Amino acid sequence: MDQMQKEAFAAAGVDIDSALERCLGNEVLLCRFYAKFLEDPNYAKLQTALAARDPAGAVQAAHTLKGVCGNLSMTALFPLFARQVESLRAGDWDTADQLMEQISCAYGQVTKTIRQLLDHA
Amino acid sequence: MQLDHRRPKEGPVPPTLLIVDDDPINRAILEQIFAPHYTIEQAEDGQEGLEKILAQPDRLCAVLLDVLMPGLDGIQVLRRMQAEGLPAKLPVFLITADARDSVMKEAYQLGVMDVISKPVVPYIVLRRVQSVVELFQARRQLSCVVESQQADLLAQAEQIIRLGRGMIEALATAIEFRSQESGGHVRRIHDITKYMLAHTDLGQGLTPEQIDEIALASIMHDVGKIAVPDAILNKPGKLTPEEFQIMKSHTIQGAALLERIPQLKEQGAYRYACDIARHHHERWDGSGYPDGLKGDAISIWSQIVSLADVYDALSCKRVYKDAFPREQVLEMIRSGACGTFNPKLLDRFFAVEDELSKLYQNGCDL
Repeated sequence: MDQMQKEAFAAAGVDIDSALERCLGNEVLLCRFYAKFLEDPNYAKLQTALAARDPAGAVQAAHTLKGVCGNLSMTALFPLFARQVESLRAGDWDTADQLMEQISCAYGQVTKTIRQLLDHA
Repeated sequence: MQLDHRRPKEGPVPPTLLIVDDDPINRAILEQIFAPHYTIEQAEDGQEGLEKILAQPDRLCAVLLDVLMPGLDGIQVLRRMQAEGLPAKLPVFLITADARDSVMKEAYQLGVMDVISKPVVPYIVLRRVQSVVELFQARRQLSCVVESQQADLLAQAEQIIRLGRGMIEALATAIEFRSQESGGHVRRIHDITKYMLAHTDLGQGLTPEQIDEIALASIMHDVGKIAVPDAILNKPGKLTPEEFQIMKSHTIQGAALLERIPQLKEQGAYRYACDIARHHHERWDGSGYPDGLKGDAISIWSQIVSLADVYDALSCKRVYKDAFPREQVLEMIRSGACGTFNPKLLDRFFAVEDELSKLYQNGCDL
């Protein structure tokens, strides 16, 4: 991974060095994880659950996404999902719902950067 | 760069670590961290994890357990493990993004070793898990060492006991040889005494250990014969009154000899051995020797050995007589031809004599 790609990730809110460290410097493994993130069905599940006002489904999906973002050092997305999980557990549906605006923005940036990286590779 | 699990290339198979997590990325990260040090097994949910744990808990050195999983969650897995008493033997690490106070508290109450929050930092999680695994392994090895040392000590103690018994049997058999008999006599007296105590109410109130001690003591009933000259001991004909007086002294000599063996005094068999050596020629009606004891003044073990001694002497050839047929032996004992015995003793003897007679199936020399 070159310096430009690292900077692109940093701009999208991903601490690529910390993620690499978690994979013991194994870039191939990390790229495989990022590719998996693109296919992760939980983002769609979260959107569906929020639209259907299904708190159980929403908290399950948000919790899983929070875990994945944590592992992949997505420093912008992680705290957003963490707050969303907290709100849902506290029964604060409105805050959880409103967080989707910021989440979708950050999610869009991250997925775009990952696609560029994978296309490049 | 290739995916590299960096397993050690030689040496023993590393211990097995079980990763239970529904998220494949988490499993892959943990596998990457631990694969150089352990054999890795994985389970994709709580149910599969629990099955792998319960199937063979001893093969595992640690369990890394996620909390939130579909189906059986981590806390439920822990509860089942605790019901089996497993967390004390097999360290469990909760790896969780959900480190709420309530979850932590319950997890620790259920015996979890450590709670590690996700996302993990590799060198921290590795060190925390390794330290505990080493501690458990050291503990296990130490208890194995202690166990094997205990087993060694027990084996040595048993060997010493066997040696002591061997010496006693050797002494008794040596004396039998002097009277030109094989070791069969003492062995049969031992077996008859033990059988009658263990299989009739004559042994009432005696523990199995005491019965063993009495049977061992019975072997030494004739040790006093070592003080009787060969000419008398092996005289084919009838003894003169003087010779018979000397022959009779083997009872008192035997008890006196046994009293001079200090090591024997520490044995449970000692008090029985002295009593039997001195009193195995007493008779129920007081006509025996050396003390002319009567009735219950003679211990039941001395009475049994007296009868066994007569039974064996009649059934086998001796320097002074031929062997009698079984019918005649029983008739002589019943009629009191060899002295009067306790009626209860005779009753129990005839009740088991069928069994005792099997000792003579192959002759007296075996």
